Amino acid sequence: MNAIDVRRVTRQFGSFTAVDSVDLTVAHGEVVGLVGANGAGKTTLIRMILGLLAPTAGRVDVLGAPPSRQGRRRVGYVPQNLGLYRDLTALENLEFRAEAFGSTRHPVPFDGDALVGRLPLGLQRRAAFVAATQHDPAVLILDEPTSGVSPLARSHLWNLIREQADGGSAVLVSTHYMDEAEQADRLVLMSQGRVAGTGTLADIIGPLTAVEVTAERWQQAFELLDGTGPPVTLSGRTIRVLGADQAVVETALAQGPVRARVRSVPATLDEAMVLLDS
Amino acid sequence: MKAMILKEFRQMRRDRRTVALMVGLPLMMLIIFGYAARFDVVEIETAVLGPGADIAAGQLDDAFTVVEQDPAGTAEDARQLLADSRAAVAIVTGAEPTIYVDGTELFVAQSALRRGDSLPAGVEGEILFNPDLSTAAVMVPSLIGLILLFIGTVITSLGVVREREQGTLEQLAVTPLRPSDVIVGKIAPYFVVALIDMVIITLAGILIFDVPFRGSLFLFAVFGLVYLFVVLGLGVLISTVSRSQGEAIQLAIMVLLPQVMLSGMIFPLKSMAEGVRWIGYLLPLTYFVEAMRGIFLKASSFGALVQPLVILVLMAVAVFGLAVWRFRRDVAPRAAATS
Repeated sequence: MNAIDVRRVTRQFGSFTAVDSVDLTVAHGEVVGLVGANGAGKTTLIRMILGLLAPTAGRVDVLGAPPSRQGRRRVGYVPQNLGLYRDLTALENLEFRAEAFGSTRHPVPFDGDALVGRLPLGLQRRAAFVAATQHDPAVLILDEPTSGVSPLARSHLWNLIREQADGGSAVLVSTHYMDEAEQADRLVLMSQGRVAGTGTLADIIGPLTAVEVTAERWQQAFELLDGTGPPVTLSGRTIRVLGADQAVVETALAQGPVRARVRSVPATLDEAMVLLDS
Repeated sequence: MKAMILKEFRQMRRDRRTVALMVGLPLMMLIIFGYAARFDVVEIETAVLGPGADIAAGQLDDAFTVVEQDPAGTAEDARQLLADSRAAVAIVTGAEPTIYVDGTELFVAQSALRRGDSLPAGVEGEILFNPDLSTAAVMVPSLIGLILLFIGTVITSLGVVREREQGTLEQLAVTPLRPSDVIVGKIAPYFVVALIDMVIITLAGILIFDVPFRGSLFLFAVFGLVYLFVVLGLGVLISTVSRSQGEAIQLAIMVLLPQVMLSGMIFPLKSMAEGVRWIGYLLPLTYFVEAMRGIFLKASSFGALVQPLVILVLMAVAVFGLAVWRFRRDVAPRAAATS
């Protein structure tokens, strides 16, 4: 039995369909990354899994039953804004959450009288993670868990997430960062409320490419390429034409003419999201 | 600088609550000061008792509005009428004609005494319940209501809105806590603090300002509890329609100001224009002030305070019920979505 089982779930707000017939499963011990651009429907889907929103159609099961107050005892959630009381210390936050879940507080390396609002973001995220996992949840849902933290703190947090999964928890991580997506066992890519792809990062990006253009007169090259059809982005002075054919790019540059080094490269996750949305 | 001014106007225009505060508040002040803020009393509710009451009533100044006339009435009846707030002035005719004035109605009493010329010669005057016409004796019981209103609306709404601003309200909604646990747990501390405040203000009024406490402690407690439900309900209600602490404060001011001005705490209700007076009758502080003055100064009986008590209970049920229903939607949003 999957810990999270979402079947053909739709959620509408008036005439706007935020989530459109989505299927999603997360097994125990698995880390699934929910990726997609802002507005893709990730947060709405998470809110339905948490029981904060009712689906307009379809069915959501968490640990074999629709989300309920009793079921929440076995679910941990870290929202993007952390959900900690900034005017309490980390320990006070953990004590409150332990009481709310009726669990015992694990010994954790948080001491001192510093209020959460005054702690570095890395420590705040860690405290939020401990608060969400100290009751040993069978399902753990994390929204952008390492956003804004240092690489070292990020690595440490991912170790903790992996430990949870190894302990049998089903972990669903919402992100639009490529390095976070790489940590997941499996990705579900959402675009405009629908599932646009599933699998590993390589599976999702696999067939998608971009044409990288490096030119001395990069402004002129950009003008020539922009408007030819495919989305064009700029990274430093390097131009990337997403999902384009290399020959088409070379033809467009020849109209300048602009001398440039042109090569086809795999798309990044961000580019994959742009391509799916465009 | 021009850009700054333009930006400020654009922001102001889009913030509907600020516009309401800027336009609504001056209008409210205009109405209040134009129609309500009058210290001079033009209508003094008067009872005339004793033999020849009808003749005496006919000789009174127009300001004395005769609400009761009883040729068989006695001085004891007169005191009772004033204790029950059925009249502000009672004139007892007979061998020793006396005018009894309700000292808890400060401006009414002063106005009645000023108009003593229209009374028959030799009438003795007696001010009941507040013989020195002490302002503190009248204001302190009313201030209890105002302070509880402040704690209830401003402090409570800020406390609840802070949860929403920090995103912790959503976190509470995903814990196994029952919505009722969250609501009671959130409101109970404010309830306790307000209760402690009520006791402190009462003791301070009695010990520092020599305000007499003549009535029933039980009635005082009952009114305090019922009124607390009303004001805490107002606070929670404000928080459920405010996205930020700033918005909550704006709304709380809009709720507080009319109560200060139109509850009869400062300006006598009887001196207000009819339309404005009716606004006063819709405000909880009006009934709490009436009850507190009655309990502190007149030792009013339960029977005399049934009407304000019933009105406050109805207000408590309506306001607190609505507040809890709306708050519940925040802490149990799924139930709201499917209902």
